Amino acid sequence: MHIQKGFQWRAVGKNWLLIAAFILLIVFPFLVGVLTNTDPTARRGLSVYWQGIMIELLIYGILTMSYNILFGFTGVISFGHALFFGLAGYLMGAFQRAPELADGGLLIGILVALVVCAGIGLLIGVATLRLKGVYFAIFTLAIAEMVYIFLSRYEYTGSEDGFTLAALPEWFDPTRSRLTFYYIAAAIFVFTFILIRRLMESPTGAVLLAIRENENRARTIGFNTLTYKLMAIVLAGILAGVAGILFTLLNKKVGPEMLGTAYTVNPLLMTIIGGAGTLLGPAVGAMGLRLLELQLRNVQIPLGDVVLDIGRILPIILGAIFILVVIVFPYGIVGTFTRWRLNQRARHAERLAKQAEALKSVS
Amino acid sequence: MKEHTMAAGEPILECRHLRKEFGGLVAVNDVSLRVERGRVHSIIGPNGAGKTTLMNLISGIYKPTRGEVFFKGQPITAVPLHRRAHMGIGRSFQITNIFPNLTVLENVRLAVQARSAANFNVLRRAYSYGDFITEAMRAIQEVGLTPVASMLASALPHGGKRKLELAILLAGAPELLILDEPTAGVASEQVREMIGNIGQIRGQADRTIIIVEHNMNLVMNVSDYITVMHLGSVLAEGTPSEIAANKAVQSAYLGELYSDVMDKAAGGDHA
Repeated sequence: MHIQKGFQWRAVGKNWLLIAAFILLIVFPFLVGVLTNTDPTARRGLSVYWQGIMIELLIYGILTMSYNILFGFTGVISFGHALFFGLAGYLMGAFQRAPELADGGLLIGILVALVVCAGIGLLIGVATLRLKGVYFAIFTLAIAEMVYIFLSRYEYTGSEDGFTLAALPEWFDPTRSRLTFYYIAAAIFVFTFILIRRLMESPTGAVLLAIRENENRARTIGFNTLTYKLMAIVLAGILAGVAGILFTLLNKKVGPEMLGTAYTVNPLLMTIIGGAGTLLGPAVGAMGLRLLELQLRNVQIPLGDVVLDIGRILPIILGAIFILVVIVFPYGIVGTFTRWRLNQRARHAERLAKQAEALKSVS
Repeated sequence: MKEHTMAAGEPILECRHLRKEFGGLVAVNDVSLRVERGRVHSIIGPNGAGKTTLMNLISGIYKPTRGEVFFKGQPITAVPLHRRAHMGIGRSFQITNIFPNLTVLENVRLAVQARSAANFNVLRRAYSYGDFITEAMRAIQEVGLTPVASMLASALPHGGKRKLELAILLAGAPELLILDEPTAGVASEQVREMIGNIGQIRGQADRTIIIVEHNMNLVMNVSDYITVMHLGSVLAEGTPSEIAANKAVQSAYLGELYSDVMDKAAGGDHA
């Protein structure tokens, strides 16, 4: 194999879309600043509003990408993904606001939350991954609902109200230093994407795909599939925990709704809409759908005497969009596009082969 | 082409008094089997005779209710499926069992990777292991799928999938190959090709092959030794000519349909 030295222009050509997205992510706050004529570093104004929206989109993106590791790449359907998301938020919050820990509570809380997410992933995996398909899904749902009920009734965790965080250090505070928080969220988002991409290009990722395609065959050729599935669920759990921590910091509060089925079902739908088993699909699906939801939430259309409040019928509209997308893009937006491009290339190659054949017969 | 002398020494595989029950059904009942090294050993018998169940017990998909399996003298009854693959037991399936949405190359490359130490290396790209690809391409070439190596496995015609199944098996470099009905659903003109493939496979290295088959043409052509199963038990054992001459086996389980082939085989000119 020859090794290319120096700058690889071909790699740039192949990844132009990602590089463009990366640059957009970096300049986004300033782009909005210019477009809305507001100061990106200020504490209020349209710039800050849009940064807040983008942070939320990035968090949804991380959560959905983590779900895709299980659902899209390994073929494991979990109905309890919200467990990692919400529990990480609660744990981080509990340590962060503990007065005895002062400023160290935040860091300890983050570490504890991530370790617990990994541990719970491992436990659930060991207990249930031997079960096939739907049994695993039901078990994860049961555990998530159990924790949900517990946290929404337990007084120490604020029952159904949850609790707010203690004051955050100024440089880290999403209200006072939103731009900094935006770049932290963006960096974690990019890191998550690169991590998953490297994983899926590695031999380990190849085994995950093999498990998705045909687990029994993967076992017969010599893979201990349980180990790989455990790895996948632990990684997915940690990344969902990261999303939960960021979400809690952004809102400066936790509530039991973070453990609700919405944070399992939404990543599932977003993964399907974007393209399950694609690298970019989940991020595209999550960010697109969430943006749509946020933008439509406050729209009111006057129809003669009555005012049509889009916000109140939003679930119906999103449901219709979901059905439409699934029909038009059976493999998700990114998945269908990728297939289309592959087909185009195959057809192009076929044409070239035919032309070559024709030339040969002429000469 | 074939020698029918009993090989001396230890068999590569030995089953002792295997029994497998599914609820009240006894699928395999007290089966003892010795497979000598370097042989092609066929298992035949009517549907429901317990052939596939026996293969599942040998490859580790099922655990036996009773009895023991020895591989190269080692007891492996408690060894899980994936470990048996590493020990050198490879298996293909009656129902096509491939990775449909991966390319032909990736299907085979995975089998090469499975026996390496690279499986948990997340720092390197899977396709940076050139040896894996070379080895996979060799197995693909052996079954004649080189022109379609970059195609998705699901896009192959049925015969191609059967060949891919064989390539996946070969890529695992097993010492003992279990072929469960390699010609299932394959057009009759391709059976000859399959016979050629199997002949090639056995010609190489130190390989032992167990074949479960219904196609008597193939069985009589490639086997050194045949075990006939019926209702979960072993009915008869012997060389192809012995089995062909066994009138009980012939009339009861193989029927008139194969009488031509059997007579020819009994005559001895089955090369």
